[in-house]
Amino acid sequence: MLKIAGIEFGGGAPLNRRAKRACVNRAGAPWLLLAAVLAGMPTDSARAEDAPATPKDVQAKLTYCEVCHGVSAQGFHGYYPIPRLAGQQTEYLQNQLQAFAEKRRTNNIMLNVSHVLSPAMVAGLAADFKSLDPKPLGGGPKDLVDAGKKIFNEGVPSVNVPPCAGCHGPDAKGNGPFPRLAGQLYDYVASKLTNWDKERGQNPQKPDTSAIMEPIAHNLTQPQIKAVAAYLSYLE
Amino acid sequence: MRVTGRGSSGRAAGTRLLLLPAIIAAAFAGAARADDVQGKLGYCKDCHGVAAQGYRGYFPIPRLAGQQSEYLENQLRAFIEHRRTNNIMFNVAHTLKPSMVAALAADFQALNPPPIGGAPKERVAEGRRIFQDGVPDANIAACAACHGPDATGRGEIPRLAGQLYPYLIKELVNWGHERGQNPSRPDTSAIMSPVAHSLNKSQIEAVAAYVSYLK
Repeated sequence: MLKIAGIEFGGGAPLNRRAKRACVNRAGAPWLLLAAVLAGMPTDSARAEDAPATPKDVQAKLTYCEVCHGVSAQGFHGYYPIPRLAGQQTEYLQNQLQAFAEKRRTNNIMLNVSHVLSPAMVAGLAADFKSLDPKPLGGGPKDLVDAGKKIFNEGVPSVNVPPCAGCHGPDAKGNGPFPRLAGQLYDYVASKLTNWDKERGQNPQKPDTSAIMEPIAHNLTQPQIKAVAAYLSYLE
Repeated sequence: MRVTGRGSSGRAAGTRLLLLPAIIAAAFAGAARADDVQGKLGYCKDCHGVAAQGYRGYFPIPRLAGQQSEYLENQLRAFIEHRRTNNIMFNVAHTLKPSMVAALAADFQALNPPPIGGAPKERVAEGRRIFQDGVPDANIAACAACHGPDATGRGEIPRLAGQLYPYLIKELVNWGHERGQNPSRPDTSAIMSPVAHSLNKSQIEAVAAYVSYLK
């Protein structure tokens, strides 16, 4: 168990080399270093069994995922905004499914979905989602896009909000444990950022990568959140 | 001059003749008048129940009360375009102007009678589980994700709360034969297609029982 700034880190997931370099290159921002250390911790194995997943099994499960997440995983407005998974980073998807299964991320529906998935199935699904590239649904207020772009690329230094592009990349495609945000649903992004600390990192004994976003989500105002979400919702 | 519909029987025939162009113009161009909407609403309720709570005619006739207006409008269009097959509703739908459809849909959404009920109560607990959690092992998505935890629906996604037990069973069993019947014009019914296909008869009955009692 690692302890940084009074917080113990036992969870997290391996970070690929490019992501590590991206973090270390910005040594001026301590929270980025924290991300690198945190993400470099070994992954806990939550699922004991590992049944093989045939291509047919994966295809059937994919169809099931796409009932809610959209036929090309472009996201869908059900009763809730259901996020785009197309083009998502495989490592992020795997981390989130594990977070749902361990109730570090609270969502009853996704808890039930995730806890029956074998690691082989998760890997198969994540690879398939990563390969999809449908057009964004869009739908964010267009008049907020310019303001959102500025926040995304430059941050809001006066209130200690770093540029989103620092971790999510200039095109918001993400990298390893950092999720792709390009084309994500406007109302989904807005609701996640607004409720960050009520939905993510819900096991204080097992802090995870969601801790990186926590202070940022906290510092962003509602108008700033909406602007960033609007910008992202149109990015291809 | 106000153009009156019902209650104008006392007027002279000549006056009616003069009004005819105005009536025709209103019918083709204007918004549906309140009288017309009430008249049409009464007609819908002949079959769908006096408070649109649904009715067991020869067929189970669905509850429309509290239904999402966007869903109602979509379905009426689907009947007209034969994407959803139902001869009676085809004939009903293809005479409705867009303004009438909008007014009817708003009226139905505002109604809130108690559910008819009548489904086997011993299936409700199982149905609740399927509705809220899905059946992940069988790749059946949680109904609540799209229809909402209270089955009230949203926008193009229908309310299911209080829907008739036999109607729900009939729709889910026959989904592939009744909905999305124009392959060159896929519609939102495609979303439910794999779900309806994956549910077995017993699971369908359980879910139908659960939502039929929801207020």
